[in-house]
Amino acid sequence: MNKNRVSEEERARALKPTKKPEVIQRQRLPVRYHVEDYDVADRPRRFLEAFAVILRHSNYRFALEHFIRMSAKCSRCSVQCQVYLASGDLKDIPCYRSELLLGVYRRHFTMGGMLKGRVLGDSGLTDEMIEEIAESFWNCTACRRCSMECPAGIDHGLITHLGRYILSEIGIAPRALVVSVREQLEGKTGNTSAIPVPALLDTLEFLQDDMRETKGVEIKFPLDVEGCDYVFFPAVSDYLMEADTLMGIAAVFAATGDSWTTGTGYFDGINYGLFYSDRMLERIVKKVHAEAARLKGKNILIGECGHASRSAKYFVPTYCGGERALPVINIMEYTLQVLREGRLKLDPNIVTEKVAYHDPCNIARQGWIIDQPREILKAFCKNYIEMEPHGENNICCGGGGGTVSIDEIRPYRTTIAGKVKAEQIRASGCNYLVAPCANCKKQLRELVEDQKIDCEVVGLHDLIYKAIKFDKKQQKK
Amino acid sequence: MQTLLELAQGPLFRLTFAIMALGLLRILILDIWGAVEAYRKAGDKNIPWGQAFRKSLAWLFPVGKAFGSRPVYSLFSILFHIGLILVPLFLFAHVELWKSGIGLGWVTLPKDWADYLTLSTIIFGLALFIGRVAFRASSFLSRKQDIIWPLALIVPFITGYICANTGIAPAGYQFFMLIHILSAELIFALLPFTKIAHCVLMPLSQFVATLAWRFPPDTDEPVAISLNKKGVPV
Repeated sequence: MNKNRVSEEERARALKPTKKPEVIQRQRLPVRYHVEDYDVADRPRRFLEAFAVILRHSNYRFALEHFIRMSAKCSRCSVQCQVYLASGDLKDIPCYRSELLLGVYRRHFTMGGMLKGRVLGDSGLTDEMIEEIAESFWNCTACRRCSMECPAGIDHGLITHLGRYILSEIGIAPRALVVSVREQLEGKTGNTSAIPVPALLDTLEFLQDDMRETKGVEIKFPLDVEGCDYVFFPAVSDYLMEADTLMGIAAVFAATGDSWTTGTGYFDGINYGLFYSDRMLERIVKKVHAEAARLKGKNILIGECGHASRSAKYFVPTYCGGERALPVINIMEYTLQVLREGRLKLDPNIVTEKVAYHDPCNIARQGWIIDQPREILKAFCKNYIEMEPHGENNICCGGGGGTVSIDEIRPYRTTIAGKVKAEQIRASGCNYLVAPCANCKKQLRELVEDQKIDCEVVGLHDLIYKAIKFDKKQQKK
Repeated sequence: MQTLLELAQGPLFRLTFAIMALGLLRILILDIWGAVEAYRKAGDKNIPWGQAFRKSLAWLFPVGKAFGSRPVYSLFSILFHIGLILVPLFLFAHVELWKSGIGLGWVTLPKDWADYLTLSTIIFGLALFIGRVAFRASSFLSRKQDIIWPLALIVPFITGYICANTGIAPAGYQFFMLIHILSAELIFALLPFTKIAHCVLMPLSQFVATLAWRFPPDTDEPVAISLNKKGVPV
C-alpha cells in the first residue's frame, strides 16, 4: 500500500462539493471550482470551434500529431504524479487526462478519426466529455513532473495548458483566476490584488520605516526611476502578504547600491494567463514589458515567484520581439551574483535552525533555477538540509497551475494534491521551509496548517533579511 | 504451402515493406515539417537544442532510466527492445536475404547471441504483456493495441527461433516459416499506423516537447476575432 494514499474519509472531505446543486444544474458543471455563469448551450460545438481556432493560431497542432502517434500508455507517469499517488483514482493518471483531449483531437481533427467516426457512427465530443475534461484538467497542478518520465516525450503539462485554454474560451475557467485577470487587464488598479497606487505607496513607506527601525539603515523602494538596471515585478500579493521577502530584496539592493525601481504604472508580476489562457498570457506579458520599457530599464527583474518568473522568462521573448526584448532575470539569480562578487554580506550565525528548500516547479523543472538558491542558503544557513527528491525532479507543493488561488478547493489541495509534499516536509524535520514563490508559500502554509506539520514557510529573502550585514558607512545613511 | 511461401517471400514482402517504409517516411517528414513550421512561427527562437539533444540521447539509450519510475517494467522494456531491434536487423539469415536480394550486406550477430536475444525478446515480451494486464494503472490506460502489440511482436521471434533451430520441429519448418514471414509482414503493414511508429519518431520527441512551448507571437487578436470576442471584456 502506498504510504501517500489518502484514506476514504480524507478523500470524502477533499472532494466534497463546494457549490449548491442549483448552481451546478444552472451551469451544468459538476466541478468543485467556482465558475462565472456562461452560455451553456451547444457546448461541444463551441468547444470544437475554439479548439480549431486555437490550433490555427498556435504551434499546438504539430505537437498533438506527434503525441497521438507516440503515446504508448506505459503508465510510467502514474508513479510520478503526486495527485494520483495520493488519490489512487485512476482518472488522475496524467496519461489518462491527456488522452481526454488527445482523443478529441484524434476524433475531430485527423482524417482517420473523422472517417472512423463516420463509419462507426460515433458522434464525437459530448457534454459529458467536456464535464470530465473540466474536472480533470483542474485536478492537475500542471507541475510537469510526469513529463520528465515519459519515454514518448509527451508533455502532459502542455496538454493540460491547452485543454484549459480551450475550456476558458467557452467560459469554463475558475472564477478566482478570471476575476483577478479582469482586474489586472481592465480594472482600475491594474493588478491582481486590486492594490491602488496610493495603497502601494503607503505600504512601501511603512516597510521603509520598519527597515529603518530594525536595521538602522535607510533602505528604499525606488519608484518610477528611469534608466535603472532592474525594473522590479514581484507577485503583487507580496505587498499584502510577504513583507519580509520584499524587505529582504530591498535590503540586498541597499547593500549593493545597484539601481532598481518599481513602476507605478504597472507593478504586478503575476500572470494567471500561464494557467488558463494564452491570450491572457500574452496581454499580461506585454504589460510587464511595456512598463519596463517605459522606465527605460535594462532588465526585467522578477521577485520570488515561480510562475511569474517562468511566464516572463519564457514569454517576454515570445511576445515582445525575440532577441530585442528586455532580458528577464529572477531575483535569486541577482542575489547569487552579488553574493559571489562579495557585495553582499550575510551573517552565518543568525539562522541556525534546520532549513530546507522547496523547488517551485515553474523555475526548477526545466533546470533554470535549482543550484542558485542552494548556494545562497548554504552561504549563511548552518543547518541546511536537502529534501528528496529535489531539483528538476521536485515534488509540487500541491497548489501549482493556479489551483492555489482557488480557495474553495483548499481541502483538495491540502489533502490530496499536497499529500506527498506534506510527507516529504514532515520527513525532513525542517524548521524553516524556504519556498521562493508566492503560490508555493500560500499553498505550503495552508498545507502545514491542515496537515499539522511544525515548520515555518518563508521566502529566501526573508532569511536574507534576518542575516544581512551592512557596513558602518551604510548604517550612517 | 510452397506457393504460399513464395507469395509471402516475394510480392507480399515487397508490398508490406513498401507500406512500412513509405508510411514511416511520411510520418517522419510530417513530423519534421511540423517542427520546422513551429520553429518558423515561434516568437522566441532561442531554443535549447543542446538540452533537447541530451534528453533525446538519454531516452534513446535509456540506461539511466532503467531504475527510475516503474523499474521492473522499465528494465524489461529495455531488454525487450534490445532483441527486438538487433535480431531482425543483424541476424545472419536476414542479412543473407538482403545480400541475395539487393546485393548489400552488413555485420551480423553470432548465432548464439542471436538465439539468446531472440529468447530474451520472447520472455520479456511476455513479461510486458503480463505487466500490461496485471499492473492496475497500465491495464486501465491500455487500448486494444497496447495489449496486443507485445504478443504480436513476439510471434515472428517464436517462429523464427523454431525455424533457426530445426531440431525443435523439423516436420513443421515450412509452416513455421510461413507464420514467421506473414506475422512479420503484418507488423510491417501496421507499423506506421500504430504506436509502433515511435521506432522512427522517438528521436524527435524531446525536440517536439521543447518546440511546442515556443508559441507564435501576437495570437490574442486573431483568436479573439475568429471567436467573435474582439473587444469583449475578460
